[in-house]
This record gives sequence, C-alpha cells and structure tokens, in this order.
Amino acid sequence: MASNLQAQHETQSGVYTFSSRPRAVPNRTKYRQTDPLLNEEQSSYGNIMYDRRVVRGNTYAQHILPITSQPDPVEFLKQQEARRRAMSRKRLKEQFGPKTPEPLEGRKNIDLQTEMYLEELSDRIEEVSVECQTDMFLDKPDTPLFIPAKTGRDAATQIEEGELFDFDMEVQPVLQVLVGKTIEQALLEVLEEEELANLRAQQQTFKEIRDAELVEVQRLEERERRLRVEKENRIKQQKAVLEKEKETADKIAARAFAQQYLSDLLPSVYSNLRDCGYFYDPVQRDIETEFLPWLMQEVSNALEQKYVARTVLDMLIQDVTNQRFEAFQVQE
Amino acid sequence: MASPQTSEQPPPHIDPTQAPVAFGNWALPKLIMELQDVELFTRQRALAALCDLVHDHERAYEAILNGCMERLKVLLQDEDNLVRVKTTEVLYVLASHSLGRDAFLKFDIVGPLANLLEDPENACRKNVHQALNRIAEFPSGAVFMVCMGLVPRLVMKVSDEEENIRALILSTLSCCVSVNALPALESDAILVLRDQLSHPSPAIRQAATSALVGISVPADGKMKVCEEDLLPMLVKLLSDDDQGVVANAAGTIMNTAVITKGKSEALNAGAITPLLRLVVSENVAVCANALRALTVLAEVPRARAQLLEHVPLLKTRLAHPNSIIQRAASTAIEVISWKP
Repeated sequence: MASNLQAQHETQSGVYTFSSRPRAVPNRTKYRQTDPLLNEEQSSYGNIMYDRRVVRGNTYAQHILPITSQPDPVEFLKQQEARRRAMSRKRLKEQFGPKTPEPLEGRKNIDLQTEMYLEELSDRIEEVSVECQTDMFLDKPDTPLFIPAKTGRDAATQIEEGELFDFDMEVQPVLQVLVGKTIEQALLEVLEEEELANLRAQQQTFKEIRDAELVEVQRLEERERRLRVEKENRIKQQKAVLEKEKETADKIAARAFAQQYLSDLLPSVYSNLRDCGYFYDPVQRDIETEFLPWLMQEVSNALEQKYVARTVLDMLIQDVTNQRFEAFQVQE
Repeated sequence: MASPQTSEQPPPHIDPTQAPVAFGNWALPKLIMELQDVELFTRQRALAALCDLVHDHERAYEAILNGCMERLKVLLQDEDNLVRVKTTEVLYVLASHSLGRDAFLKFDIVGPLANLLEDPENACRKNVHQALNRIAEFPSGAVFMVCMGLVPRLVMKVSDEEENIRALILSTLSCCVSVNALPALESDAILVLRDQLSHPSPAIRQAATSALVGISVPADGKMKVCEEDLLPMLVKLLSDDDQGVVANAAGTIMNTAVITKGKSEALNAGAITPLLRLVVSENVAVCANALRALTVLAEVPRARAQLLEHVPLLKTRLAHPNSIIQRAASTAIEVISWKP
C-alpha cells in the first residue's frame, strides 16, 4: 500500500485532483504470506463491511486510536522521526548554541530587551475581532453540470452493411439441424420398411417351401389313400371271385352227391307212398268218398224226418191233453 | 449486439402440433407422463411427438420399458377421435419392432385394439387394420389372434369396408388361415372370398386368393371349394395380369385338386392348358405352383395321357437354378411317367 505512488498535486487553478488506478481494496490475510504475491491481482477482495480498518459507529466521539488496535506503523514512524528530530535539534542546540555564563551567587539571569525601542511583552495577545456574515438564505446556485475532463483518445467506428449479420453463415446450423433431423427420421422409417420387407421376403420363401411340402404331403397322402383303396378294392374283388369259384365248386360237388344220393330215393318213395295208400283205385275211392256219405246222409235225413214227425205228434198229443185238462179244470 | 453464435434463448417452437421433446433420457418419460394429462391438447401433442419418436428402435425400447403400453391401452378408449387415431398409429409403428410385438402379446393389447374395429373414424380403423396385419404377419401373433376368435369378426368385416382397408383385412385373414383354417371355414369365409375374387383391384384379388390357398389346406376346405364352384373362377384367374394373383390361384388349384372331386372339377374347367403356359413363367412362385398343380392333376389317368406329350417342356425346367423348381419339375415328370 505504501509503495503505491499517489499522484497529488495542486494544479495552477487550485483545483485539487487526485488520480490513481481504481482498484478494490484488497483484503489483508490474518497471517503473513511467506512469498508475497507479486504482479498478481489481489484475488481476495474483502467485504468492506467486515474490514477492520473501516470506522464503525459515530465518528464524532471516537478515539482516533482505539486501545485494541495496533499502533499505526506509519504514525509510529512519524512520531519516532519527530522525536528523533527533536532530540537531534536539542543536541545541536546544546552543542552549537551560544551559551550564557552561569549566574553568580545571589544573582539571577533574566532576559532583557536590548533593542533600541522597548517592546511591551505581555501575555495578553493583541487581538482584533473581525466579523463576517453570509447573506441570509441566498438560494444555492445551480451546481454546474459536471462535465468530467476528457481523458483518453477519441475513437470512432462504423458498422458496415453485412458485417453484423451474415444470413448464409447464420442459417447453416439451423439448416443443418432441420435437414439432419428430417433425414434422420426418414432414414429410420425407410430402414424400418426395408427391415419389414426383408422379413416378408424371408417369410415368403419359407411359405413357398412350406406350401410345397404341404402339397407334396397331401398329394402323397391322397395318392397313398387312393392306391390303398384301389388295392383293397381289387383284393376284395379277387376274394369275391375266389369265393364264388369255391361256391360253384361246392355246388357242383353237392349236386353230384345229391344226385347219387337221390337215385334210389325214388323207388323207396314210391313204395312208401303206395304203402301209405296214396295210390288208389279211383272207382273205389269214388264210392268210398261220395256214395257212401250220400247214402248215410239220406239215411240220417230219413231218420230225422221220422224223429221230427214223432216230435210233432208228441207235441200234438201234449197240446190236446193240456187243453182237455184245462177244459176239465174249468168245468170243475 | 449480434454475434456469430446463436442466441442463448431456446429456439422458437417450430411445430406447434407436437409436444416439445426433452433432451436425452428424459424425453420418453416426460412424454409418457404427458399422455396421462387431463388436458386434451397436451395429450394430442404428446401422441404426435411419440409417434415420430418410436420409429427409432432404441426409443421404442425405452418407451416400452417405461410402461407406455398401459397408457396407450387406456387411450384407446378415449373419446376424442384424433387421440384414438394417433394412438393406433403409434401402436402400428411399435408393431414393426420385434420388442413391440412381444409387448403387444404380453400386455394383451390385441383385445382392446380389436374393439376398435367398429370405430366410426376411418383413419382409426385403417390404423387398427394395419396394426392387426403386422401382428398377424408373425407366427405367434397369428396364433394368438386365431385363439382369440378374431377371425369370424374379420370375415364379417371384409364386405363392409372400403378398398384399401379390405386388402389389409384379407391379408390378415390369409396369415391367420395359414395357422389354422377351421375358424375361417366355419364362418363361411369361402363365400366372402368368392365375391372378392372378381374385384377390380389387384391387391384385393391377391390377398383373397392367398387366403383361399390357406383355406383349401384342410380337407373340409377342399370340399367346400369344390362345392362352391370356385374352380372355374380360379382357372380364369390363371390368366390374370398380376403375378401374385396367378401364383395364388395356381396354389389353390394345387391344394384343391388333391381330392378326387377337385381333380375332376379342375379337369372339367380346363386347368391344364393355362397351367402348362405358366410353367415357363419367370416368377418363381408362379412356376413352382403351376408345376405342383400339374403334378397333382397328373394322378388322373386321362390327364396323364394329355401331359405325356408335354414332358419335354417340363424337362427344360429341370435346369432352373432354383432348387424348389427343380424338385417340383422332377416330381412332376416322375408322376406323369408312372405306370400302374
């Protein structure tokens, strides 16, 4: 801090200016740094509120140096200097100042004025009272516009057309994003469709093979079935034919046997029949079957007539008797 | 004063229809939180931003890990149309990633999604069908959909919808029937498909014919195809412009002609000549299917007699680089030259 040059000067006009590079007050660390930071901006700027060097509280009734603070080294140095200077001045004066001899006994040295004209020396200081009074309540004049003094150099700049905003350059990122996103989406969709088309093509080939196999299987199945059915039919037919042949052979054998068996059946049958009376004399039979029953019938008719006649007679007799009886009864 | 650097202020909000996306890891959690916001506008913007982001696999993975599927499921039943459209779109994009597909099955999103089949908004239904189509394209998804009983509903929807949605439904159906054709058969899909065969749009015809290929695999399907007189139409489709349609029609004939009745009907409809013409086609699917159809038809003696003359043509196909075609050609020649 003490090493910073501070430019203070009074200009010709009497206006006091002060200029130094504006900088923030650096914070002093509590402990000394072993190597002080050189050529570096002090990075640790302290908060002014927590800076112990800032006076707090009312300033009108404050010790300039509170007890707890360290003695300001500058002040201390100055004081030391002053003390040293006083000491040296005193020493000088002692050594080289005119010395009056010591007063004799019973005498005293007093100071005398040795000038031509005596001056009255008194403690009373001549004073003159001077009074001054400002005019009452004059309006404060307007403060002049503060126009800071011009410092630095003038510089001018002009923005030409086309320098600020170049459309072609600006539009690049936007276009990239737009086109990129669109193409990305389109690529995705196309990839998707391609994948699906590949899947479908694979499925198609598989389906072909499957169809072929299915049809083959079915055809062969059908063929097998047909052939089997055909075979079975043939076999059945053949069997039927064999059956028939066998049957015919059996029939012929049976016929031959039967013929032979029946050859002497006929005479025995005839004889049996004759024995049972199946061969008869027709006239005899006729007489037996017709004549004799007719005769018997007539006989029984005649007998019946007789019987009927007798019954009628009996009834007549009965009737008459009854009548006679009743007549007799009445008469009695 | 202007400087060559960009300003410190955040950039102006370029797209007011999207929520601003936070940087890095915070982007997706923030968006997912915004999805639950009470205010409608915030939800819409968050959905729009999410929709763009999930095209990227890593973002989709992050989103699923952060539990966006639950929120999306809730949002599917939202009242606002735009929210539903965007939600279905996000689900559609998620279904293109394999992790998304797993998440679909794990969180059972297919159910609520299928409830939106009757949604009044067109865009929403289209997205729903697109998402269902993607799910049906991979095997466990198709199995799941069939188990859920979605096939009859889809069959009913085929005739109601407009053109481009119809193509989607038909392709979904064709994936499902390749897993299990019985539910489709039971819901009279063959009748519906027959009507679609004559549609002017080639995409619809291709999808309808591929569904038919799947349906004609089980025996009941073959019987039904014969009963419904589909074979003459299929033979006519063999001369179609679109190669996909032709391949699928040949495939259906090949499947149907395995049963005897199918063989006879196919021969009556005169299938051999167009099929012979298709054998020399460049398209692998067309050529292979035609060869196989001829193989199946050659089981019938009179067809065999007819085809014996064309054996040299088939022999040329033996030299084809593709192994499938080689095998099919060799089988065909073997069957044709078989003597009982």
